[in-house]
Amino acid sequence: MNLKDYRTILMTTGLIGILLIATPALSMVIDLPSREAFSELYILDHEHKTEDFPFNIITEQNYSVYVDTGNYMGSSAYYLIYVKFGSINDPLPNSTTATPSTLQPLYEYDFVLEDGATFERALNFSVVDSSFSSNRAIVKMIDVNGFSFNVNKQVDWNAEQQGFYYRFLVELWRYNPQSTNFEYAGNFVYLQLNLTRSTLS
Amino acid sequence: MNFITKNSASSVIVLLVLLVFLMSISSFNHVVAQTDQTMTLQTANSAFEEAFNTVLDAEQAGANVTALLGRLNVAADLLAQVEMAYRHGDPTTVADNADIALTIVLEVKTNAYTAKEAALVAYQNNFLSIGVLSVVDSVLFVFLLFLVWRLLKQRHIKDLLRSKPEVTGNES
Repeated sequence: MNLKDYRTILMTTGLIGILLIATPALSMVIDLPSREAFSELYILDHEHKTEDFPFNIITEQNYSVYVDTGNYMGSSAYYLIYVKFGSINDPLPNSTTATPSTLQPLYEYDFVLEDGATFERALNFSVVDSSFSSNRAIVKMIDVNGFSFNVNKQVDWNAEQQGFYYRFLVELWRYNPQSTNFEYAGNFVYLQLNLTRSTLS
Repeated sequence: MNFITKNSASSVIVLLVLLVFLMSISSFNHVVAQTDQTMTLQTANSAFEEAFNTVLDAEQAGANVTALLGRLNVAADLLAQVEMAYRHGDPTTVADNADIALTIVLEVKTNAYTAKEAALVAYQNNFLSIGVLSVVDSVLFVFLLFLVWRLLKQRHIKDLLRSKPEVTGNES
């Protein structure tokens, strides 16, 4: 090897060495691309599993599930969870256009979450007052976490699925610090419920 | 007789007017109370959003905001209860819980601002010390490489001189 080769090797080593030494300082000023940001929303049964969700429900019986949210947005986030109640005929949120359901929220959870953290709260509900006719059911009042709501939701007998079907819909909304408004996060889950006559009625 | 009848009619009219007046005052008070509750709720929600934004700024500056978020969640729970109480017409719960939530939120906002300032100063000091260290280390490294280069150069020249053929005179 001649002097020129030595010089090339030493210059290359010098440049690489300077870059390595400057890495801690560079990492404080350069923003590397972050992972994909998302939020998650899911429901668990009363035993924190996915096996025993309420389905066939009767009036004046309490039911319990858990609502869970995870924040993977890369920073802390302020969330709202809206709990809505509707019949099987009421439209769900539109996943394509990311628009929420048109149902009015009955109950809400407010919370802030650090990046990477999860939130869990119980959702306790019962049908307080309902009525049945030959092929129609009306849920007049429901109770959610101790608060009563007049809903007056009517549904016809579903001959195909043999029941009176309702839904508890849970939507996730997230606060946008730029617009200072809450926006629908595109996440929703629902419990499909079949209202049945109690054995006593 | 006519006088008595006229007096009775007047009394009835006066009573009716008084009744209407009292009813309108009562409904006015109700409207004012509702407006008060709405404003209380809006004030508390706005204050919460401001506090959250300050916490977010502190987080972006590098502060540890876990404790601050914990306190905000206490306020968030209270605000959710305020919202439910408002919808169910429970003014006492609205007023009481909104006050407590507001106190917590203002405390969090102040602490978040302090944490953000401290984090910015710490970041600047950290960056400065790392920057200076990087420069010093780089200079030392380059100097070391320069010494290596000189050594290699001197060795190369020595090798060249050693391998140079001897020039001898012509014997004629």
